[in-house]
Amino acid sequence: MDFDLGEQATDLRIQLRALIAAHIDDDFLGAFTDDPADLDVAQTFCRTLADAGLLTIAWPVEYGGGGGSVWDQTVVREEMWAHHEPRGAQYMGLNWVGPAIMAHGTEEQKRRHLPPIAAGRVIWCQGFSEPEAGSDLASLRTRAEPDGDSWRITGQKIWTSYASMAQWCIIAARVGSGTRHEGITMFLVAMDAPGITVRPIRSMLGPHHLNEVFFDEMSTGADAVLGQVGGGWSVIRTALAHERVGIARYARCERLLSELGRAMAPHWSELPPSLHTAWARALVQVRVARLLAYRTVHAQSAGEVPDVAASTARIAVTQCDQSVAEVLFAALDDECLEAGSTAPLHGAVEDHWRYAQAATVASGTIEVQRMIVAKALLAGARS
Amino acid sequence: MNPDLPEEAVALRASADAAFAALGSVDAARRAEEDPGVRSGEVLSTLRELGLDDLDPRLDAITLAAAAALCEAAGRVALPSPVAAMLVRDQQGRPTAVVPDRTSRVDHGDLLPEWRVGTLDGRGGVAVAGGIRLGTRLGPFVTDLELTDDLVAPPLSDVLLQLTLTCWTVLGTVDRAVELAVDHVAGRVQFGKPLSAFQSVQFQLADAAVAVAGLRELAAFTLWRLDVAGADARADVLALRLHALEVARSVLRTCQQLHGAAGVCDEYDISVLTRMVQPALRLPCGVERAASALVAAIDADGFDGLFLHGTAGR
Repeated sequence: MDFDLGEQATDLRIQLRALIAAHIDDDFLGAFTDDPADLDVAQTFCRTLADAGLLTIAWPVEYGGGGGSVWDQTVVREEMWAHHEPRGAQYMGLNWVGPAIMAHGTEEQKRRHLPPIAAGRVIWCQGFSEPEAGSDLASLRTRAEPDGDSWRITGQKIWTSYASMAQWCIIAARVGSGTRHEGITMFLVAMDAPGITVRPIRSMLGPHHLNEVFFDEMSTGADAVLGQVGGGWSVIRTALAHERVGIARYARCERLLSELGRAMAPHWSELPPSLHTAWARALVQVRVARLLAYRTVHAQSAGEVPDVAASTARIAVTQCDQSVAEVLFAALDDECLEAGSTAPLHGAVEDHWRYAQAATVASGTIEVQRMIVAKALLAGARS
Repeated sequence: MNPDLPEEAVALRASADAAFAALGSVDAARRAEEDPGVRSGEVLSTLRELGLDDLDPRLDAITLAAAAALCEAAGRVALPSPVAAMLVRDQQGRPTAVVPDRTSRVDHGDLLPEWRVGTLDGRGGVAVAGGIRLGTRLGPFVTDLELTDDLVAPPLSDVLLQLTLTCWTVLGTVDRAVELAVDHVAGRVQFGKPLSAFQSVQFQLADAAVAVAGLRELAAFTLWRLDVAGADARADVLALRLHALEVARSVLRTCQQLHGAAGVCDEYDISVLTRMVQPALRLPCGVERAASALVAAIDADGFDGLFLHGTAGR
């Protein structure tokens, strides 16, 4: 029993914090704000990380990565999210589009797509959810029809993050007349292809996060299929497994709880005792969420596919995100509605609260996670 | 990084589970309520056969984990015995109890002649069993001890160790409570189908299981912190205590509710588990006082994590 991530992890954390301190302003709140300059900051920082060999530290060496452990990956995830994800949209390509291409792609697809991701020069989006297929992803209706040697894709995707800026999209479409998982096929499509229309959706999160994407007989070559025709569900499963541990929300929660006292000084000590205990409880909740995430990573490092542990961690982490948001708001009181660099903590608390509202929905709702946990529990029932 | 308990601890837990099952599991607690002598008889003998007297959790990390695992097994059956207190003995073999500020109120305080008692703020001494058992439904074996003139308090590290091991007992109880609830809803048919077919029931179970899983990780983490930081792990131990109390409150409530009326009937284990764990949840202090103590400890000592916390910040 040892909860020390080790010297290598500590060194990596120090290195990442030094890079962030050198390249990212204190009041940076992520790439997707009302200030388009923040996008450029993120794009530049990705190349900085790539030059330092840190962007793909967890990728296998054969694909230009650092061959790092899942624990290295964990430290990167924590530090990036704690500092408002200065990789911007590119985390998606790094965390699972790249690995999915490694696992299911042809040599040509790997040669074409992996180097730009590793260099920090490409943004990917994912076309999974549809108006009629949210949590029930297997009911998706977007169709891919064979057209000689190529395919024509028609349908609508929704909630597609970064679609307005992405160069590529990994999209799930149905081939043939199958139902549910049958026929689902993954395609890698260029977002500038004719037949694709992106329509932004206004949200409380800020720009670029949510879009509708329409495919109108969009033509793509046979080489766009990732994996087997009809074999898309296993690609999706790979992707979701990565995504469920993908965001270290607890790390930002802990950073904000840490900074709150300093930011509010000297008034911090004058707060009602109930706010102090709420703050301490939040710190405990953050620790528990982190430890549950580590349990999943530990299982991954042993080569397991920890579906139930991942869902357990996700429930804890996303709920932690929301309750910490409330504690922070309660402490700031009337100042909590202020936003931007003149607000308390440079607006980070206000930003966090808005993002936290989507935590229990994004990349798999908390209800779906509960179903997974309950199913496993009941499988062991004695009655 | 390895969050798993060492093999030795897992093995001891399995042996203890088997030995406590041989005692009749929760029936041992039912028998002890009828005849308190059961505790000093068959229950204590069973603990001795499991190696209670040779287990010193202060020895090393493995023995510490083994002690925790024994407490967990005891909690799973509401074993009528102050296992955590007996594991933290002084040189004279006296068990260590952490007591409230006002009274030396101790679960199973009547079971042993002399105790070493300490408060969270460092007072204490040697106490003897003088008073009578409360004998109530929620504290059948709770006894008020009398302090003697020996006022040397136990070291803080022992106080923290006892609190931590008690949390492992609570962990055992809530873990078992979820199992009982799962079995009950899978077997109980209403509206023509098992209760487990209702999603509202499934979601309650899932939330309870997530809470217990989190408590388990925190309990293991706290053992590690105790091992590497000793008395400096005060905030960590208080964090575990606070969390254990909150998890117990919500998980036991859910599991009782899912049992319906059976949840408050003593022929069902969930009712006995819920009653027998109350002294551990209320002594030496309940949830709000634990939270206040945690605030003070973080302020003074910091709180281990990814960022600095408290004025001392660590």
